Amino acid sequence: MSNKENQIKTVPEIKDDEIIVIKGLCKSFHIGKKTLNVLKNIDYVIHKNEKIAIIGPSGSGKSTFLRCLNCMEDPTSGSIYFDGEDIADIHVDINKHRENIGMVFQQFNLFNNKTVLQNIMLAPVYLKTKKAGGIFAKAAVKKQIKKEAEETAMNLLRRIGLEEKANVYPSTLSGGQKQRIAIVRALAMNPKVMLFDEPTSALDPEMVGEVLDLIKELAAEGMTMVIVTHEMGFAREIADRVLFMDGGVISEDAPPQELFNNPKNPRTKEFLSKVL
Amino acid sequence: MNFAEEWSAFWRLFYTNGGYKRVFSEGLKNTLIIAILGLVIGIVIGTLIAAVKVMPKYKTLPRVLNAVCNIYVSFFRGTPIVVQLLLAYYVLFPLMGISIGSLNTCILIFGLNSGAYVSEIMRAGIQSVDSGQMEAGRALGLGFYPTMLKIVVPQAVKNILPTLGNEFIALIKDTSVVSFVAAVDLYKVFTEMGNVNYEYLAPYLMMALIYIVLIMMITLLFKLLEKRMKRGERA
Ligand SMILES: Nc1ncnc2c1ncn2[C@@H]1O[C@H](COP(=O)(O)OP(=O)(O)OP(=O)(O)O)[C@@H](O)[C@H]1O
Ligand SMILES: [Mg+2]
Repeated sequence: MSNKENQIKTVPEIKDDEIIVIKGLCKSFHIGKKTLNVLKNIDYVIHKNEKIAIIGPSGSGKSTFLRCLNCMEDPTSGSIYFDGEDIADIHVDINKHRENIGMVFQQFNLFNNKTVLQNIMLAPVYLKTKKAGGIFAKAAVKKQIKKEAEETAMNLLRRIGLEEKANVYPSTLSGGQKQRIAIVRALAMNPKVMLFDEPTSALDPEMVGEVLDLIKELAAEGMTMVIVTHEMGFAREIADRVLFMDGGVISEDAPPQELFNNPKNPRTKEFLSKVL
Repeated sequence: MNFAEEWSAFWRLFYTNGGYKRVFSEGLKNTLIIAILGLVIGIVIGTLIAAVKVMPKYKTLPRVLNAVCNIYVSFFRGTPIVVQLLLAYYVLFPLMGISIGSLNTCILIFGLNSGAYVSEIMRAGIQSVDSGQMEAGRALGLGFYPTMLKIVVPQAVKNILPTLGNEFIALIKDTSVVSFVAAVDLYKVFTEMGNVNYEYLAPYLMMALIYIVLIMMITLLFKLLEKRMKRGERA
């Protein structure tokens, strides 16, 4: 691991408008004795307010790449600079950074044992109370934290028109409602960047629109976001850049008009001809 | 003596002479104390062991803990509870100079024994919870343990409630061996009643009846509990 320690010491110059800087990112999985190299030495810079769409064939490593950005998958090697630290370093307190990186899953993953309101309030209340001293925090402080979190949560629910669902359990909701709640649950943490992994792939077609509309709204408000998606129209509409991933590398990176209308890479052309 | 005579002789002992008082105030009471406290201790220990088993194992400490837990579970699942009681009461505790009395020894051993079984039940329960639940918690910045405690374990407990009910019933029935270490349970009280006339049929029938009613009540209780927890999620 001495290699890794050396890397921390040479934190590269990160410009103010760069929010995530990825250097030499590799990820491999070990399946029995075999090693599967899924991400192969990826360098990339995500700027503030940028909307990045990631497309590519199944198994090309899109999800793995996205999940490395908040270390849901630990990178095998390489660095991911966020908030002045290399979060790929296992000595870094990753939980602290994840508070600032929202993530939305294909399967929603709302907490089944919590109501909608509790789903949204849980992490902010727990983490703020912890910072205020955990179980030793003053009762008044705890109460205030709860009150504020509840206000935030209710405002978010109102925003998506689901305030009347505050006290129901997720099992009673439609897929589209679940996903919109999952999105505002992440927003309640006030993240600096949002990661979406195929947020509409598990939805019935008639519910895709409501979820995409919410994401578009966030985009319009200036949220930095990285979205893995199969919705090409959506990618074209909101993305500043589209990344085409293939075989564990970013094989094309261009603004949407360019990538969709005039792809340079033959593999991109082939992929687009199949999906468009 | 025919059965009618035997039964009326037993009934005199049991009811008219007030033998039932001892059945409830000592026999049944101790049976329940040992089983209930045993289960409570078992759930605490079992949950801790299950947490160790599902802990990420990059570091040395979790690995060492895991090995210790494995030894613990193999011992308590690999030997009969009578053997554990005898070892503790007649060998280990005297050697260590501990004298906590037979009832407390039983509570302790039943708790330790049940901990080994509950750990397996709890681990299966934790693994039955969709991994997306843990991921969602971690992605929000919650640590492994807070997510476990607030999200995964409550769902696991709901899933394993029927199995925990079975464990409780097994514990109740296992208490019938505690007289090996001089504790007074249902078996002991009814045997003493039988010793009066050297007639055991009626007392043991009554004992079986009490066990059956007790266990039916517990089954019902767990069914109600399950229903309540299910209702909680529909709201
Ligand atoms: N936890 C894991 N263990 C082993 N192999 C994995 C794991 N996660 C992903 N892989 C493998 O890594 C490769 C890339 O997977 P990934 O999920 O990143 O692809 P993807 O581009 O998101 O595909 P899709 O469009 O189907 O979601 C696949 O071959 C997959 O089987
Ligand atoms: Mg994927």
